[in-house]
Amino acid sequence: MSEASVHSVDQKVRIAIIGNPNVGKSTIFNHLTGLRQKIGNYPGVTVDKKVGTMDFKGVSYEIIDLPGTYSLFPNSEDEIIAHRVLNQLSTKVRPDYVLMVIDSTQVSRGLFLATQLIDLGIKLTLVMNMADIAAEEQINIKTFEIYKDLGVPIISTDARGAEGLQPLKELIHEGKFSNPAEFIDVEEIVSANILNKVQSKFSFENKYQAYQMLRFGLVDKTVSTEDKDYIKNLLDAEDFDLEKAQIEETRIRYEKIDSLVEKSVSKAKTPEAKTNRFDKIFLHPVLGYVIFAGILLLIFQTIFAWSSVPMDLIDGLFAEISSWLVATLPEGPFTSLLAEGLAPGIGGVVIFIPQIALLFAFLAILEDTGYMSRVVFLMDRWMRPFGLHGKSIVPLVSGVACAIPGVMAARNIGNWKEKMITIMVTPLMSCSARLPVYVILIGLTVPDRFIIGFVNLQALALLGLYLLGVFGVLITAFGLKKILKTEEKSFLMVELPSYRTPRWKDVLLTMYNKSRTFVMEAGKVILAISIILWVLASYGPPSKMDAVRAEGEQRIAQASEEQIPEIEAEISSQLLENSFIGIMGQAIEPVIKPLGYDWKIGIALITSFAAREVFVSTIATIYSIEGDVEDDLTIRQKLEQQTWADTGEKVYTAATAFSLMVFYAFAMQCMSTLAVVYRETKGWKWPLIQTVYMTALAYVSALVVYQIFS
Amino acid sequence: MSQSADQLKLSESAVIIDIADSPLKINLLEMGFLPGKRIMLSHIAPASGPMAFRMDGSTLALRKSEASLIKIESIQN
Repeated sequence: MSEASVHSVDQKVRIAIIGNPNVGKSTIFNHLTGLRQKIGNYPGVTVDKKVGTMDFKGVSYEIIDLPGTYSLFPNSEDEIIAHRVLNQLSTKVRPDYVLMVIDSTQVSRGLFLATQLIDLGIKLTLVMNMADIAAEEQINIKTFEIYKDLGVPIISTDARGAEGLQPLKELIHEGKFSNPAEFIDVEEIVSANILNKVQSKFSFENKYQAYQMLRFGLVDKTVSTEDKDYIKNLLDAEDFDLEKAQIEETRIRYEKIDSLVEKSVSKAKTPEAKTNRFDKIFLHPVLGYVIFAGILLLIFQTIFAWSSVPMDLIDGLFAEISSWLVATLPEGPFTSLLAEGLAPGIGGVVIFIPQIALLFAFLAILEDTGYMSRVVFLMDRWMRPFGLHGKSIVPLVSGVACAIPGVMAARNIGNWKEKMITIMVTPLMSCSARLPVYVILIGLTVPDRFIIGFVNLQALALLGLYLLGVFGVLITAFGLKKILKTEEKSFLMVELPSYRTPRWKDVLLTMYNKSRTFVMEAGKVILAISIILWVLASYGPPSKMDAVRAEGEQRIAQASEEQIPEIEAEISSQLLENSFIGIMGQAIEPVIKPLGYDWKIGIALITSFAAREVFVSTIATIYSIEGDVEDDLTIRQKLEQQTWADTGEKVYTAATAFSLMVFYAFAMQCMSTLAVVYRETKGWKWPLIQTVYMTALAYVSALVVYQIFS
Repeated sequence: MSQSADQLKLSESAVIIDIADSPLKINLLEMGFLPGKRIMLSHIAPASGPMAFRMDGSTLALRKSEASLIKIESIQN
């Protein structure tokens, strides 16, 4: 990975970044590593492992960004990871040093985790982040007092991560992390006798590690049954109450922290007036919801308006590239693969970049400004009747960009039932992959007119489809709530962080990373499918294909000059009909005809099962093979020309277009989502159930819509 | 008579005296809801939705049922 590095990967100094949620860990991570980041997995769990490389003065360092957590008590999957890495139970990712990031406006809560790390004997540095915001709120922190008490190096940084970064790099380079004396004495909580036994049994370095093993060894999947029995016997023999011990630890720790904070942190009287003022508006019982709806509408309208320009350009560009290829290169199978398979295929990937980048930018801004937590607060009450949690709003809103990050975001929900329902319904939200399908079909059937002066009818239709997705989410969630059973108690405890301006560099980085991931991951699938498709559409059973060609040549030989183009088009159409894909499409035509689809749409439905965005590139490929590539029509124009073979009527009538839109709104047509659901639920049961219910919902709804409108 | 945090009125302050025994007790303590801390109810979501409490310069949202675990002694502003 690193050119400047003289060490091999295993010898690199490894530094983990940890902190409470929303303290700006990721900004610091981004600044230290820049674009050199990789996202991987921790063995056995689904939490993303973000690893980057930092080069400084010729040495390269591995930086790990751990999930945000309030304590080393493992409550959710994210926290289990932090717990395991920091308790050094997972040797593969054992960090040499830890950067503990603390929000300077929330020192106590940060110190809670920091002092736990200190007690574990981890070498660390405190990074007092958002020093500028603390100054703005007139919070004065005497870092020297904290240093004297804890004995760990402290560095102040500002929220944008610009100030203090250089000293931080120097400190990492010089390895100035210290391993201070323990903060609390665990012997106050657990008898020295037990601690000593555990410590020598597992050869731990200190008593707090022994305490953590006692407290969580029984629930940790990585601890062997034998060791669990040992711990259990020990606990039983001493008649020891684990929960009480944890409560006691929390009390003692906070007591000590409070006395430290009292002498080191002073606050002016009324802090965060800005956040209070904003909350009066954003959390208002009526206005708050109006604003949330307004923000969503603004996002959709902006995406519709802003991304259509680059999308049309990309669409036109690739149509031109195809015709240029045909005009320039000698005729043959290779040219036709390039012009009819590869170029539209790549175009079909590239065209999504504007939308994906914009949507992720909006989501990043909502998250970064602190607004997303307010939405959780406002929505929890309305999500609960449907078996969802306030936190489900994050996966669901993310699902508007892409179900994949949405499904992954569901792991922040602690309650199993709420998490499963969220995962099951998130793919019903209209993701950006559906957008091009919608855009083309709306463009065909809904007039580009304004009503009430400023509302675009097409934008309104698009909003309608998004609402349809939301409606699907709610009824399905409600159904699942009745079916799934759990003993777990649902709870909501969420911090509403101070409002701040988004860190644009992070927003840009998110846009870049998500677009790149999409191009690399989904792009591969789409491109591969485009090529397979071209092969299937260009070749068929030789006997049939040869017969069509022979008949065609005969007719052309007898025809007059003017008749030739028409005959050629007819032959192309017959060839497609007899190709492998044509045969497949016709095989399913009886099933999809009640929905208003012909066999060409059938082909697109088949290929869309890999990824729904393939619909557009599929019909582009089909119609360009069938038609004449040299007249560089856009996809929309090609669709308008499609007619039924038997009746000669237009294929893309309003009824068919609406039925298709509804089908795409509900159908599970995304292999990547299925793969993620498999990963998140650790089995094929849930992805299979999801595919079956979504496809059934799509078929029935599309059938109803077509029958109403036709 | 003991009062709990869900009975507070908007903008009313109180001091935490105890957290009732419950599986959620440790979560509340971990977030900093500790005996002796002063809290103020700053927002309530409509239809008995979550309640937002100000404490030590931060805002924390809880459901009504969770707020009822926080035993308080109300104070005059």
